[in-house]
Amino acid sequence: METLAKHLCDLATRRGADFADVRVLHRSGESVLVQDGRADKLAASTDRGIGVRVLVGRCWGFASADSLTRRRGERCLGDALELARASEAFVSDPAAIADVAPVVAEERREPEVAAAAMPVKDRIARLLDYERLGRQAGGSAIVNALVSYSEASSEGVLANSRGAFIRTTNRRAVMTCLMVASDGKILQRGTEHRGIVGGAELLRQTEPETFSVRAARKATALLKAGPAPAGRFTVIFHPSITGLLVHEALGHNAEADAVWAGQSILEGRLGDDLAAPAVSIYDDSTVPGDFGSFAYDSEGTPGRRRTIIEGGRLVGFLHSLETAAKFKTEPTGSARAQSYDCRPIVRMSNTYMGRGTVPLAEMLRGVERGIYLEDGHWGYVFVQKGQFICHAGQAHRIEKGAIGEPLRDVSISSMTLDTLRNIDAVGDDFEMKMPGMCGKHGQSAPTNCGGPHVRVADVVVGGQHTA
Amino acid sequence: MSPARKSYLDLCKRCVDQAVRLGAEWCDVSAGSGRDISVSIEKTGIKTADAGQGEDVGIRVYVRGGMGYASVSGRDRRDIDEAVRRAVALAKEATPDPDFKRLPAPQPQTEVEGLFDDRVAGLGVDQVVRIAVANIEAAKAMEPGVNLSGHVGLSVGSGALASSTGVALESEDTEIGADIEALIKRGSDTGYFYEFDFGRHLADCRLEDVAAGAVAGARRFLGARRIGSGRMTLVLGPLASYGFLAGIVSAANAESIQRGRSYLCGKLGSRIASPHLTIVDDGLVPRGIHSGAHDGEGTRRRPLTVIEKGTLANLLHNSYTAGKASTESTGHGSHGGGIGPTNLRPVLGDRPAAELLRDVKEGIFLESGEIRADPASGDISASIDFGFLVRGGEIVHPVESAMLGGNIFDLLERLDAVSSDAREEPGVLMPTLRIQDVQIAGSE
Repeated sequence: METLAKHLCDLATRRGADFADVRVLHRSGESVLVQDGRADKLAASTDRGIGVRVLVGRCWGFASADSLTRRRGERCLGDALELARASEAFVSDPAAIADVAPVVAEERREPEVAAAAMPVKDRIARLLDYERLGRQAGGSAIVNALVSYSEASSEGVLANSRGAFIRTTNRRAVMTCLMVASDGKILQRGTEHRGIVGGAELLRQTEPETFSVRAARKATALLKAGPAPAGRFTVIFHPSITGLLVHEALGHNAEADAVWAGQSILEGRLGDDLAAPAVSIYDDSTVPGDFGSFAYDSEGTPGRRRTIIEGGRLVGFLHSLETAAKFKTEPTGSARAQSYDCRPIVRMSNTYMGRGTVPLAEMLRGVERGIYLEDGHWGYVFVQKGQFICHAGQAHRIEKGAIGEPLRDVSISSMTLDTLRNIDAVGDDFEMKMPGMCGKHGQSAPTNCGGPHVRVADVVVGGQHTA
Repeated sequence: MSPARKSYLDLCKRCVDQAVRLGAEWCDVSAGSGRDISVSIEKTGIKTADAGQGEDVGIRVYVRGGMGYASVSGRDRRDIDEAVRRAVALAKEATPDPDFKRLPAPQPQTEVEGLFDDRVAGLGVDQVVRIAVANIEAAKAMEPGVNLSGHVGLSVGSGALASSTGVALESEDTEIGADIEALIKRGSDTGYFYEFDFGRHLADCRLEDVAAGAVAGARRFLGARRIGSGRMTLVLGPLASYGFLAGIVSAANAESIQRGRSYLCGKLGSRIASPHLTIVDDGLVPRGIHSGAHDGEGTRRRPLTVIEKGTLANLLHNSYTAGKASTESTGHGSHGGGIGPTNLRPVLGDRPAAELLRDVKEGIFLESGEIRADPASGDISASIDFGFLVRGGEIVHPVESAMLGGNIFDLLERLDAVSSDAREEPGVLMPTLRIQDVQIAGSE
């Protein structure tokens, strides 16, 4: 791997590239799916290949192949150079690369429980336990149960034409549980997700009570919940929804490639006060073991804690080598590529709002009539117009300062800048348990998000009836 | 047969034989290659040009009904042999499943015309760049300050499938397309929209015109305003209706229903929508983007009426769910074991979209946006991403910060018209739908 990557970087320079980087990767994965009392789908995958990126004059070229031979690598390089040269005349915004000292390092993250130490039959047994205990907790209302576990390991090297060389070995594990409940008339579902940088220790660390049992209880509780109301409300976000808010509404807008391209509502807003002084928002790829963590990004820049909003003020963006050069700032280690066959693009890692000072009880006391949203599921954003949507798996009415009637899953939508301005209380608690795969430009990246409870005025709730 | 395809078929057969020798009771293997070119547009110029190529092999094995699956990239013989061994070992570890009956037997196939275009396969990066540049120039001519982004790209694939039942099939296909987003700013006002075109043949696309559609759309979305909440008519334009209907057809997945987790459980043969709605899934449409002679398991495709005049008429099956239900697979299986729709062709109504809109006293015209029902409850809580307020049959202005809510069955029951005209993309029809009395949540 190392010889091939360095050879191609040298060759790229000799053939006229102003900059080149080469990523060589070997990945393997395994998964187990347990459903309705059976482990009925076991899978494994192996994938290896090379990606070559070159900067020629004003334009990027990128080519990949699923082979690690010198011949295919050189053909990739030739393709990348040809692609860049074919496009260069039509570039309106010339490419650039930050002038930083090259890093030579190794990231080695071994799982606490090696794959061989927990054979497939033991994993199946653990998943069957989760499923059985979840079903027990939900009783006869549970009509379908699905528990899956997968882990993937990767070994790779990154080299660039300026002398950077990073060797990485790591493993990620994820686990999901779905419980579907029925009362004979309607179906409801409860889900739980877990994800770590690590391996089968996830199965040992995760207690059924906080996983499958919780999913089953969510599903059965939703059978008794009514549809959410529609309209504009004061809402309190559980930390999982706060996580979706900071990731979707703000985080994607703070990715400097979007800002530079004029696609983000944060363009030209650096230094502006966008939120109350209690609001601070960070992206941190150094949280030990967290799903979005990494030591070096896909360009070889060390990961770090990045401050996006400090005391309500927009203070920074997430940068790659290219955006750092264009903004004349430092790269933040935020360039990530899904695999060898993808270009690095600016991504988040673990994104969260910092803890505030307001206890949840006090936050509730200020709400005469509102909605409490919990169990964050998913969200998306249009950075161009600053509109986002978040989906909550469960909700409750807030009436006269107290949590009341349970409500079914519901989505909320708002404009990012309005929502930041309308945050009027930031909780004194904190939780970041939203591991997931974030999608952007056809690539997915492991991320996590969270924060404290927050209270926001004037949020549109997409319910089924007027209150 | 091209040498490449024959080589993949030979590879598949060899893997099947090896798996059977190792103890597979049933086995099928797919193998193929793909190459692609993609040119990215950013800030109304070319940003990068990318190319990729790869080969992969997928081995599926059943032992006493338990399934093991292994996939591997590249053509390294040792890697592939190891993947076969792994698939067999995993199948032996899986819990026996009496619901698994058999993999599909060889069947006569209906050839689908036009899935491969030599012109697309022969395009180089220069030509793809030229298409991207034509879009940039057209957009600048229309709107000098436009911020254009997107992609123009193509892919060429070739593959084979063989099984222990004697299935031996090959296929090749091409696809070319462009997706372009336009952003227009006038002071603090923002108009943003996207457009796309794609096809298996170059002749089926007007790739140079995509940006013009995106710019025109972005202009329409300037001047968005907030609206109040209320119950009103919802008109789904072609882009919005396609996703809405695709979600319902996807929910007719027999596995989800047999497992008891779909809002369509127990609804087969029952009315689930107004009689205006008939949807045919047809994987055999010539040149169709989701077309193919067979599914991922080798079952021949055939047109299937999923919803007929409001009644759930058929479910989508693969070989596993068909065996469990003692019926025939409908040809909607993937090689990995999933189930999914192909080309959707709703039966059109008798009045054009413009007339459906003209009758609306107060409502929302959703030009594009995802209306996703919860797969279990059928509840919908969706953002009106690209919508307009309609009053007195006229579009008044784009809306901002508004949502819609309800349950899928309520919306389907209140569907009172399908347009007689439709946007047509290769294989699929996208009409306009009108739904009465929908809860809209506004922010005014």
